[in-house]
Amino acid sequence: MKTLDRLRDPSEKALGVLLLAPAFLLLALIVVYPIGKLIWNSFFDLRLSGGADSARFVGVENYALVFKDADFWNATANTVLITLITVPGALVVGMGLALLANLPFRRQWPVRLALLLPWALPLSFAGLIFAWFFHTEYGVVNDVLRRFGSDENTMWLLRPGWAFAAICATIVWKTSSFMALILLAGLQMIPKSLYEAAEVDGASRWQQFWQITIPMLMPSIMVALIFRTITALQTFDIPYTMTKGGPGNATETLAMLIHKTTIDYLDVGYGSTLAVCMFVLSLFVTGFYLKRIGRNA
Amino acid sequence: MKRRDSMLTAILSALALAAGLAVPADAYAQTKLRVFSGGSGQRPDLMRKLYDQYSAKNPGVSIEVEIGGATSDLQRQYLSTVLNAKDSTIDIYIIDIVNPAQYYGARWLEPLNEHIGDPATVLKPYLPVYASSNVIEGKLAAMPGWADSMFMYYRKDLLEKHGVAEPKTWDELSAAAKKIMAAEANPNLQGLSIQGAPIEGTVCTFLLPYWSQGREFNDRNGKLTLDKAAAAKGLNQWLAMVDQGVIKKNVAEVKTIDTVNEFKAGQVIFGINWGFAWDRFKDDADSTVKGKVGVMPLPAMPGGQSATCVGGWQWAVSAFSKHKAEAAKLVKFMSSPEASKFLAVEGSLMPTYQNLYTDADVTRSVPWFKDAADVVIAGKGRPLSRDYGQVSDAIRTTTSAVLARTKKAEDGVAEIESRLTRVMR
Repeated sequence: MKTLDRLRDPSEKALGVLLLAPAFLLLALIVVYPIGKLIWNSFFDLRLSGGADSARFVGVENYALVFKDADFWNATANTVLITLITVPGALVVGMGLALLANLPFRRQWPVRLALLLPWALPLSFAGLIFAWFFHTEYGVVNDVLRRFGSDENTMWLLRPGWAFAAICATIVWKTSSFMALILLAGLQMIPKSLYEAAEVDGASRWQQFWQITIPMLMPSIMVALIFRTITALQTFDIPYTMTKGGPGNATETLAMLIHKTTIDYLDVGYGSTLAVCMFVLSLFVTGFYLKRIGRNA
Repeated sequence: MKRRDSMLTAILSALALAAGLAVPADAYAQTKLRVFSGGSGQRPDLMRKLYDQYSAKNPGVSIEVEIGGATSDLQRQYLSTVLNAKDSTIDIYIIDIVNPAQYYGARWLEPLNEHIGDPATVLKPYLPVYASSNVIEGKLAAMPGWADSMFMYYRKDLLEKHGVAEPKTWDELSAAAKKIMAAEANPNLQGLSIQGAPIEGTVCTFLLPYWSQGREFNDRNGKLTLDKAAAAKGLNQWLAMVDQGVIKKNVAEVKTIDTVNEFKAGQVIFGINWGFAWDRFKDDADSTVKGKVGVMPLPAMPGGQSATCVGGWQWAVSAFSKHKAEAAKLVKFMSSPEASKFLAVEGSLMPTYQNLYTDADVTRSVPWFKDAADVVIAGKGRPLSRDYGQVSDAIRTTTSAVLARTKKAEDGVAEIESRLTRVMR
């Protein structure tokens, strides 16, 4: 009777635990358990092609193999390069779009809609659309170039450098709208009085931008950068649908390598090791950002 | 107090109701078999007719179909996940010719020796290549469904117009193509269309000239026996044709369906493709080449023999099925000569029985099967490996890179060897 009473009328603390328990269980199930299993699997040679019960404990041998694996370093280099190009790229383009959208339009909603659409499009759709844009014979890009007098069809997706550039361009197009939305929200919070005061003091538009807009926008910029960087490290959909990592593995990212190893080769042990390495990389980058935010706050 | 009480009762009764609904209803007297099939290329519509025939003869068995995976490698990726989870909801799988080695190696397929018979006797009437692909470790892993192979389709009308004979070697084909292209003066006309995108079909693009030189990719135990010089020679031959303008420069972008579409639009003189393409050239509304298409065996390398890649689909029973005996019976029916003849006559799906190629009814509805027979019979199977995913990926990615000219043929072949020596040992 007493327990039932306690269930019917729990104390403040007990109520708190009870209400948090479902969320905690959910988080444990979908975050803690998979990551734990991932790290556990990385110490085994587990190939599903040989039946799931064939796990063999190998300790850190998988990690030693990863450090010697040319494919891993190639994929990591590609991932880091994509991050270094598309994060500032999306920020610059997004900033431009946000400033444009912040101008006083009579109707706000078409501008907001145009800004939102690229972000709303599924990643693989964007990849497939741009793959067609860059197709050698049937693509819009070559069509336009030929109308401007070029006489050779560039094989965009068959040259490592051009394929990489095409993929970065697609990613910047897709993600700059997301950045623009975050920056637009920040821009709208900057009081107009600051700009008016600066104008009175004789500051140029350029000076106003650097001295008022950027510093006031710093928190939004940081947030946008964190989101964008973490997602950039996980780039998969766009290179996968555009070139499948080709030509060769010139555009293969770390996420694609993990996908190939685990889903196609069914080498779960080695794939888990690669995934742990990617996890560590993400933690490192997140830690760097958090320290910077901590400093600013 | 009262509200808390009623809420507690409501939650408890909801849980009880859910538990009650979750109890499996096994009051069915019928056996329900579930078959996994790929997309429209595997003609679920035709199979449905056969299933209905079977159900009529075996009351108490109903058959349901699950469709998924647009291409062979996508199906393999999906099924690898499903089978690895030991899912028992699907009883029968329609799988590609390259899959039994991997799936049986992982013990995902039920060996059919007890259900159907000893492999040596059971597979005798079928084409020899299916006898080897479906027998893994002495066990009958799958039954042949229907065959497929790569053919050389060509524009009969153009060859006749310019007085060119059917080429027997690749050099003859290049010369013929160049002659026709020069005479037609059509900038869109391609001499030869092959697949170079990193898809499964590109494994065949690599193997065709290699096999034509009489080389084997692996021995009977699955160990890699790559002759690097021959492989490089094969790849360099494709590149030489690109240089001569016979094959288009962006061949590394060409997928199976691109060759078919471009051939239908009248832009290709010679095209390598699978058996399904014939019907597309003949029946599609937007085909400009109806009645102008011929089919012949693939040309040979200098001093070599014609060789082609064999495909085809097999029926396999899941090792986790709850109705293995019934499923095996259905598989036996679907791979019987009657079913094979039905599929050939109704759907132009190539038979796996040697004698059906000369059967009167079959040749009446699909006359081109007479020419096809020699090609399919002489066809070779791709490497059988438990890790076929890795084997296929290494070959197709590297071949595509070589065709895109981002790697030299010799470097590409060395890379294939280094990647696969560990896997195929």
